[in-house]
Amino acid sequence: MAKLPVSLTINGDEHDLLIEPRKTLLAVLRDTIGLTGTKEGCSTGDCGACTVIVDGKAVTSCMVLGVTASGKEITTIEGLAGDGELHPVQQAFIETGGYQCGFCTPGFIMASKALIDENPDRTEEEFRHALGGNICRCTGYTKILEAVLKAAEEIRTTT
Amino acid sequence: MSEYTVVGQTVARVDAVEKVTGAAQYGADVHPPGMLYGKLVRSKHAHANIRSIDTSEAEKLPGVRAIITQDDVPSGRRVFATDKVLYLGEPIAAVAATDPDIAEEAAERIKIDYEVLPVVQDVMEAIKPSAPRLHGDGTKDGPNRREISGEIRTLSRDKENDHSDAISNLEAELENYPDEVYYNISAESHTEAGDVEKGFAESDVVVEDTYVIPRVHQTYMEPHVSVASADSSGKITVWASTQGPFAIRSGIAGTLGIPLTQINVIGTTMGGGFGGRFGVIITHVPAVLLSQKTGRPVRVQMTREEEFTDGRPAPGCVIKLKTGATNDGRILAREALAFWDSGSVSGASIGSTIRVRGVYKIPNLKVDAYGVHTNKSGTAAYRAPGAPQAIFAGESQLDEIAERIGMDPVKFRLMNMREEGDEVPAGSSEPKVGYKETLEAVADAAGWWDREAGENQGWGVAVGDWTNGCGPGGVYVSVHEDGSVRIFHGSMDITGTDTAISQIIAEILTVPYESVTIRRGDTDSAPYSTGSGGSVVTFTMGNTAKLAAEDAHRRILELASERLNTNVDDLELRDGKVHVTSADPPKSISLGELAAYSLSTTGGPIVGKGSFARQASTPALAAQIAKVEVDPGTGRTRVLKLVASQDVGFAINPMAVEGQIEGGTVQGYAWAMMEEMQYDENGNVNPGFVDYRVPTSADLPTVESVIVEVPAPNGPYGAKGVGEPPITPTLATMANAVKDAIGIRINELPIKPEKIVNALKSNGH
Amino acid sequence: MKSFEFFEPTTLAEASRLFAEEHAQLLAGGTDLVIGMKALTETPQSVISLQKIPGLTGITTEADNSISIGAMTKVREVELSADILQHHTALAEGAAEIGSIQIRNLATVGGNIAHASPAADTVAGLLVADAQVHIASADGERTVPINELFTGPGETVLTPGEIITRFRLPSPASGSHYIKHKIREVMDLAFIGVAAAINMDNGTIAEARIGLAAVAPTPIRATEAEELLKGNAPTPALLEQAGEAAAAASSPISDLRCSAEHRREMVDVLTRRTLEQASERASG
Repeated sequence: MAKLPVSLTINGDEHDLLIEPRKTLLAVLRDTIGLTGTKEGCSTGDCGACTVIVDGKAVTSCMVLGVTASGKEITTIEGLAGDGELHPVQQAFIETGGYQCGFCTPGFIMASKALIDENPDRTEEEFRHALGGNICRCTGYTKILEAVLKAAEEIRTTT
Repeated sequence: MSEYTVVGQTVARVDAVEKVTGAAQYGADVHPPGMLYGKLVRSKHAHANIRSIDTSEAEKLPGVRAIITQDDVPSGRRVFATDKVLYLGEPIAAVAATDPDIAEEAAERIKIDYEVLPVVQDVMEAIKPSAPRLHGDGTKDGPNRREISGEIRTLSRDKENDHSDAISNLEAELENYPDEVYYNISAESHTEAGDVEKGFAESDVVVEDTYVIPRVHQTYMEPHVSVASADSSGKITVWASTQGPFAIRSGIAGTLGIPLTQINVIGTTMGGGFGGRFGVIITHVPAVLLSQKTGRPVRVQMTREEEFTDGRPAPGCVIKLKTGATNDGRILAREALAFWDSGSVSGASIGSTIRVRGVYKIPNLKVDAYGVHTNKSGTAAYRAPGAPQAIFAGESQLDEIAERIGMDPVKFRLMNMREEGDEVPAGSSEPKVGYKETLEAVADAAGWWDREAGENQGWGVAVGDWTNGCGPGGVYVSVHEDGSVRIFHGSMDITGTDTAISQIIAEILTVPYESVTIRRGDTDSAPYSTGSGGSVVTFTMGNTAKLAAEDAHRRILELASERLNTNVDDLELRDGKVHVTSADPPKSISLGELAAYSLSTTGGPIVGKGSFARQASTPALAAQIAKVEVDPGTGRTRVLKLVASQDVGFAINPMAVEGQIEGGTVQGYAWAMMEEMQYDENGNVNPGFVDYRVPTSADLPTVESVIVEVPAPNGPYGAKGVGEPPITPTLATMANAVKDAIGIRINELPIKPEKIVNALKSNGH
Repeated sequence: MKSFEFFEPTTLAEASRLFAEEHAQLLAGGTDLVIGMKALTETPQSVISLQKIPGLTGITTEADNSISIGAMTKVREVELSADILQHHTALAEGAAEIGSIQIRNLATVGGNIAHASPAADTVAGLLVADAQVHIASADGERTVPINELFTGPGETVLTPGEIITRFRLPSPASGSHYIKHKIREVMDLAFIGVAAAINMDNGTIAEARIGLAAVAPTPIRATEAEELLKGNAPTPALLEQAGEAAAAASSPISDLRCSAEHRREMVDVLTRRTLEQASERASG
C-alpha cells in the first residue's frame, strides 16, 4: 500500500517521512528514525515499555499509527536529558536503584515525567496507581516508587 | 563492614547512565545494514500430525527472501516440527523478508494440513492409561512409562482441610487407579532417608495434603530476540539476548554441526532473564539458518504472544505431601509424591521436589517425583527452579502442623531449623548458615511478636532456602597510565553483577570505584564464562575478579619494588598508591606512575588474570512475613505489609541486594495470587498481559527488605548468590496469610478471588 | 498487520461515505483497532481516522446540568472532568478503570462504546446516566438510547456509514457509583462491572438505575432491581433484595477469567455495594 507523507517533531527535531499506514509510531521511532530507546515489550499496550510523550501526554506508542501522529510533538527517552544534564527523573532512578534490567526503564521514566509534570504533589499511593500501566518484572516497584517520589520532590522544590 | 571502602557500600551501577537514557543496546536494538526480518511459522494445534506444508503462496509475496523448514537443517537436528506437532505454537517453518509485516503475512500464507490428535494438558490425566501418548509408539510398553511402588498411592488426602474440587477429583481417581503404571513420564527422581513409615507411626500429628501449583512464565520484559549474520566465509555472528553467550555458541555449533570458532556470540544487554533466557533453538538457530540461506543479517524477534506459547516457562506441578510431628513440635517424617508438568519435552526441575525438606531436621524423608509430558511447550528454569513449588507445599503444611499442635509458626520453625553440623536429610552436614538469624530478623522487623489483625486480616510467615550455583569464569584486569583500571570479561550482567565485580576490583586495587570501568567481550574475545543464572555471577565472577585483582596487585608491588628499589615486603598498596611502609619521610608511587613505568620494563604492563571454576557454595535463606486483608464479599486480597529478610552472606552493593530481594518477593507474590498460564485442548489460552496478570505497582505496598549477613566461607567477602532465594518462600507466605485471615487454606494457586469466595461459601459463609 | 488504505477526512459526511464502503473501519483512539489489526482479528481494507473532523471532542455542560460528551473525547478527559465527576460519578469512575493513563490518553469514549464489548468500563456509567447516543450518517442524524444500542458482543444497531458523534447525558442523578470486579488493581478487564445511580426524595429512593457490564451478551439495565428500590428507603434488606434481583437478571458466561456462577454472585455483592455508595452520595 502506498506510503504517506508524515511530519513528526521528535525531541525537537523535525522529520519529514514517507511511511506505510500500518506502521505504528513505535515502529517509526525504532525502525525508521533509529531511536531504539523506546522499547517494545508486549505490542498490545499492556506493559508501558513503549511509553512516549505526545503533545504533553504519555501514550503507549505501540497503539498509535504513525500516520495519525503527523504534526505532533513527540518526546522520547532520548530527548529527556539536555545540555549534558540528566533529567531529575533519570537522576532519581539512578540514585535509588529504580531499575535493574533496564528494559522497562525508558517507559517508566517517560510515564513518571508526564505524571510529575501534570501533578508533582501525588502521594505514594497515587503514584502507585497512576504508574499501573508500566510493568517492571525486576524491581518489585519499591525502588521505582522511591525514585518517582524523589524526582517529584526535586521538581516541586526547584520550580 | 567498615574494614572495606568500596565493597559493602551502595554505589550507582556501572551501566546507570545508559540504562536511564535509552542508550543501552538490547537485542532488538541491533540493526546491521541490509537486515531482514524473520518470522516463525507456528503450529495452530496443540497436538496434530502434519500432513503437508505448502509454501507456494508465501513465496509469491514480494519481499520474501527465504522460507525454511526442517529440510533446510543440514545437520538433521530437530529445529522444526516435521511429521507431528506437540503443542500450540511449535515452530514448523521460518520466513525471512524485507519487512516485519511482510514476514508476518508470508508466515500466515504458509498452508499446513493437519490431522488433529487428542490433547492432554493435565498431568493427572496424562499419567492415565487412557491418555494420548506424546512420544513413542503409544503402546503400553512405550518409552514413557514407569512402574511405581504401591505404597506411594496409599497417601491419602486430608479431606477435611481441602476445598478444591479439582484436587478432590484427581485424588479420587488416583485412589481407584487400576494399574501400577504411569504414562507419559519424561523423567523421575527418588530420594529416601530414614524410615518414613516408622516416623509417621511415632508422630502424634500427621497431616496430608495435595498442592497444585500452576505453570508460570518468567515474563522478562524483553521478548527473545536474536540477530544473526553469516558472511561469505561461513563465519557466523549472533547478537543474542541471552543469559549465557557461551552456551548459545556451543548450542548453535552442536545443532548445526559446525565448529565453535566459526560462531561468535555477542551478548546484548539483557532485558531480564530469571532463568528463561538460556534456550538455543528458540530464536537463535532459526536466525542463523535464515541468514545462511539469504546471505544477509536476519533478526528473529518473538512477540509477547509467542513468548507465552513457545517460551520455556516454569513447570506447574501437583505435590502430595504428608508430614508427621510430635505434640511437642518435633518433625519426624515427611513424604512427597510430585508430578511435574514438563510439557512436550523432558527437563522440568523435578529434582527440586527434595526442597520439601526445607531447612529442618527431618530424620525420615521420602521423595518421589515424576516429570510428565503434556501438550505444552517445554519448560526451563525460573528463579530457583522448582524450589518455590516444593517450598510452597512444605511451608504450607508446616503451618497446618503448627496450628494443630498449638505452636506459633515462627517458634515452630525456629525449633526445627538445622544448625551447623546437623545432618541435612538425604544430604551432607549443614554448614554455618543464618537460618534462625534470618527468620528472627524478619519476625522482629515485621512486628510478628506483637502482631495485630483486624477483621478479615491475617499474617503469614514462610522461609525458603536455595544454594547458589558456581561455574567457570575468567577475568582480566589492566591498569592504565592515568591510574584507571579496566576489567575485561565475558559474563552477562544480570542486574548489577558488573557493578559488584567492579567494586571488588576497586577494593583490592585501592582505587576509587569511579576509576574502574568494565567491558564485556564476545565469545570470540572473552575468556569462557558460565551463564548468568543460578545466582552464580557474583559468587563465581566475584571470586574470579578477586583473583585477577590479586594477580594485578602482585605485579604492582613487583613494579614498585623495582622502581623504588625496595623489598616487596616493605610495600603496601593503599589509596591507589604503593607506599614504602617504613619510609620516613613517607615515600610512595601512584598506580598511574607504575603503569607508565611498566611499559618500559621487561615484565611489561600490569595485567591481572583470574580464572576460577568450582568452590563449595553455602545455602542461603529467605524469610518473609505478609499481612493481608481479604474482602469476604469479593474474595479480593490486599497486601498490607510485606517484609523480606535474607541471609546474603555479605552485601557487596546493598542497594542492588535489596533490589533483588524486593523483586524476587514480588514475583513470588504474583505466583501465589494472580499468575497462571491457562490451557485447554487448543493450547495456551491467555498468551498476553490482559489475562496473564503480572502485578503492577498498584497491587503492592513497599516491600521492606532486611539484609542478614552470615558470611559464606568461599564467597567473595563472604557473599552468597542473592538472586534466587527471595522467590522461594513467598508462595507459602501468601497462602499462610490468607489462611490466617479467612480460616481456610487454599492449596491450589493462584489464590484468585473466586477460590476464596467459594472456600468461604463451602465453609458456611 | 495487514496493509490498508488510510483516510483522514475532515467532514463527517466524507467519513460516513468512506465508512459505508465494504471492509472499512473507523479509527478513533486506536486502542482496540490497532491491537486487533496486529492480532489479525481485524483486517480492514480501509481505515478512516476521525481525528481531523471538527466538533467531535469536548465535554460541555448546559444550564440544566445536562452534559454532552463528544465521541472523540479521550477517556482520560471524561475521568478528570469536574462536571462528570460531580453529576455522573459512576461514569468518571468507570473511565478511570480503563487500562492505564497512557491508554486513557488515547482511547475515546466513542470508541469504547462503538467497540461494543460487554465489559467496557464506561458503558455501565452511561447506562445509568440514561445517555442518548447521537449518530450521524450521510442520511442525517438520529438518536438512540444507550440501552438500545447494543445487540450482542461487538454488535450494535449502527448501520454501515453511521458514526457516533456524541453522548448526551440528560438527567444527572444525585448519587452514582461504579465498581469493577477484577484481580489486579489496574490494567484488568472487568470480570464484571456494576454502576448504580440514585435520586433520593426525603429518605426514600425516588429513582434508581442499575447498569451491569460483562454479565450478559450486551451491557444491561437491571430493571427489576430498579423497580424494587423505587419509593423505598435504602435499607440493607432492600439492597440485598436488589442485589439478588440484579443477579437474577444477569446471564453471564464462564470463561478463563472466572465461572458464570462467580460472576452472578459478584453481581449480587457489587450491586448491593454500589447502591449503598450511590444512595449515600445521593443523600449527602
